[in-house]
Amino acid sequence: MKIEALGIEHFYGHEKVLNGVDITITPGSFTAIIGESGSGKTTLLSILSTLLQPTFGNVQYDGKILSELGNIDRFRRTNIGFVFQFHYLISYLTLRENIALGAIEESRVDSLLESLGISNLSHRYSDEVSGGERQRAAIARALVNAPSVVFADEPTGNLDSKNALGVYELFREFSLQGTGFVVASHDKKIADYADVIIEMEDGVVKKVYK
Amino acid sequence: MITPLKALRKNRFKTSLIFVSMSVSIAAIFLISAISGGVVSMYSAMLKTDGDIIVTQKGIADTFFSDINRSLNDTVMNMVGVKESSVLILGAAPVDTLPIVGIYGVSENRFKSYSLKQGSIPSQGEVMLGSKIYETLKHPKTVTLSKKEFRVSGVFKSRIGFEDGGVVMNLVDAGELFHKSASIFLVSLNDLSQSDAVLKEVNLLSSEIEAKTTENFIDSYNQFKIIKTSSDVIGAMAFLMGILGIVSMMSMVVSDRKAEFGIMRSIGLSSSTIIFKLLSETLIIALAAYAVALGTSFGILELIENADKFQGYINGEITVTLMINVLIVSVVMALVGTFLPAFYASRIDPMSLIQRGGA
Repeated sequence: MKIEALGIEHFYGHEKVLNGVDITITPGSFTAIIGESGSGKTTLLSILSTLLQPTFGNVQYDGKILSELGNIDRFRRTNIGFVFQFHYLISYLTLRENIALGAIEESRVDSLLESLGISNLSHRYSDEVSGGERQRAAIARALVNAPSVVFADEPTGNLDSKNALGVYELFREFSLQGTGFVVASHDKKIADYADVIIEMEDGVVKKVYK
Repeated sequence: MITPLKALRKNRFKTSLIFVSMSVSIAAIFLISAISGGVVSMYSAMLKTDGDIIVTQKGIADTFFSDINRSLNDTVMNMVGVKESSVLILGAAPVDTLPIVGIYGVSENRFKSYSLKQGSIPSQGEVMLGSKIYETLKHPKTVTLSKKEFRVSGVFKSRIGFEDGGVVMNLVDAGELFHKSASIFLVSLNDLSQSDAVLKEVNLLSSEIEAKTTENFIDSYNQFKIIKTSSDVIGAMAFLMGILGIVSMMSMVVSDRKAEFGIMRSIGLSSSTIIFKLLSETLIIALAAYAVALGTSFGILELIENADKFQGYINGEITVTLMINVLIVSVVMALVGTFLPAFYASRIDPMSLIQRGGA
């Protein structure tokens, strides 16, 4: 799915956090949005991922603006995956049940557990596995409906460097299989894995490079 | 079904609070309805015994205050279609150590409706005791009613609590005790289809009396209306308290589980799925609370029924209809109480997950 942000401006109260952002995310690419705290990368990611409506400008998904996409819940469920800084696994469900929670077809759950290397933990609860394993389960949950694009906000923020690199490798691997990733991060190591890097500063795109 | 149960188990403390709150509300509804229903049902059953038609003083609000001339009963007995008519004086007085006891003065033909366990029917200066009061007073040989002593002639058993905990005597003694000729006549008919004709004829006998079919009398009896209304009001308050309890507890539950519902929204689960999930959780609690409240109510009613203090006058009655009605009320309580918090949960913005993450 091609995502185009056109003339995006966003305010929190009187504070302008995005000031005229125009970017294009190509289908299946691994795009990293990097920048310092307060640069606007998380706000941009939220707007691109349909979670936040921009104050001005619009985002098009394969040429359609948000209001033309129909039921937003259905659109998210079939086209978009989310990975957050915190795993947000539901504590009373096993890893497998967490992944299957929003699954349209459960058949993908086991293959994802396998490919993310957590199939042996499928019946464990989130408090019975490590931080890296939890984040892998959260990634599996985002991928369960084979979305066109996965948005990740600081997905390695709570992980050590070894697990963080493991997450980037997973994104790279799935990206090569056709799933797009848009990742907001302040970790510059992501640049080694991403196809496109969008560098944000003070609410504007400072630079886009490959 | 598994997921709601898991969620409830995980949130044991709050689940228990909701469960206890609902159980108390449902038990309160059961008890107040059963007790008021029992009172109405007992008194109705007493009036219905051999009574197709009831004759009282005209315009009287309570049978206890009714005063009619008992000589009119001879005329009633001879009317076409009347099988039998008995006279009752209804009153209440202290008996020995008991501060208030139902006293029934009855005509000779009414004694046969009491099932004697021992002794004989009372002559003048004698009384017959219900088995409950006989036990409460520890098998007395004599009893004192309003400072006058009566010999106990016999003991009877009645399924009607007011009678089983009461004293039966002949009309002459009751008349002297309560200074009245008669309270009511209970008229039984050969054929119910003749009731209109008999009613008309009885009502023409005197301008001071009023005859109604027992069914009509029970339906329009003010005391029953007061009991029923009081019970409905208290039941409604228990229902509202139950709802408020659920709303407040479920609001806390939703607040605690904000991230869970946020993640559900972010993965595209619909609002209705989230609402349904929370409703099913409360519904499970409601059904469990209903079962516990029903069992507890049966136990409490049994205790009350057998407590000497209440003299058997409180005979709660949990009918199948009451069980079904309270089940419906419990389900409605759960659904109404959960809907608002569930609706709020279904609107939780997944953006809050990003903000929580601190990125």
